[in-house]
Amino acid sequence: MNELLIGSSSLLAAGAEAGHHEPSFLGVMVYLLIVIAIMMGLLLAAKKGLKDRVFKNKLTQATEQLYLFLENMALGIIGPHGKRYLPMLMTFWLFIFLSNVLGLFMDSTPTSILSVNLGMALISIGYVQWEGMKSNGFFGHWSHFAGPKLPIVLVPITLMIFVIEIISEVMKNVSLSLRLFGNIHGGHQAALAMNELGAGWVPVGAFLMPIKLLTCVVQAMIFTLLTCVYISLVTHHEGDHGHDEDHAPAAAH
Amino acid sequence: MHVIGFGLAALGVAIGLGMIGMGAMQGMARQPEAIGKLQTAMLIALAFVELVFLLTVFVALGSLKPFFPG
Repeated sequence: MNELLIGSSSLLAAGAEAGHHEPSFLGVMVYLLIVIAIMMGLLLAAKKGLKDRVFKNKLTQATEQLYLFLENMALGIIGPHGKRYLPMLMTFWLFIFLSNVLGLFMDSTPTSILSVNLGMALISIGYVQWEGMKSNGFFGHWSHFAGPKLPIVLVPITLMIFVIEIISEVMKNVSLSLRLFGNIHGGHQAALAMNELGAGWVPVGAFLMPIKLLTCVVQAMIFTLLTCVYISLVTHHEGDHGHDEDHAPAAAH
Repeated sequence: MHVIGFGLAALGVAIGLGMIGMGAMQGMARQPEAIGKLQTAMLIALAFVELVFLLTVFVALGSLKPFFPG
């Protein structure tokens, strides 16, 4: 248990130290390239079946199912204009899912490296701001953070709301990246800790594989889902903003 | 001692996750046609509760670091 704790804490503080194998910068790039190569290969193979009138290619059928699933999610959460954001959502889903699955076979994986996850979260939240600015206008989007329109006497309150909203927007990055990192990296650490039980020759950690596979799908879905929810928060009410309470349960639509 | 603390954090989060699952299951049993929407909302709630534990682990490990030399 202590090794587990020390491994994680040193990773959090400074990166690679004794006992934990964090890949170098080049290693991270190699892992990313592997994932992207797998993704390209799969999608190019799936594209071949698109010419048939009825999809006979199994891979094409699977990709279609994934597309329909994500489309339903986007339409359900964001609303009728949710189709516009599908390319980004699909990319996130596929990248996270494939690198999670890669992590079942390899020593490390892009999603178990905190900086990759933080980069992905920054892309996601940046994309949300971009789309918000595109649909509400620059000032419309940023004044959305200032809360409802208050009389001029209450300017300090508006300022405070603005600061708090900006902080919560920044914390979304942290929560997205830490959730993914904690789940995937934590799964690896749990498997390692269970392997200790086997005294070095029984891979007890392999019994965690089914639940890790479940985690792979669920985490990819949650990242995509939360991106959807954030997009729906900034693009839902085009024209009128100011009452956050109404569209907080965006998933209920 | 810190192991007990982590155990307590995990206990609380497990209770929370179980209650979310229970509520979602009851809702699904009462309204099977709303399963899709319920699953979405359930997953969002699960993600937020789970995040509490992850934050606990990271914050605690950060503050515990002086006690673990090396």
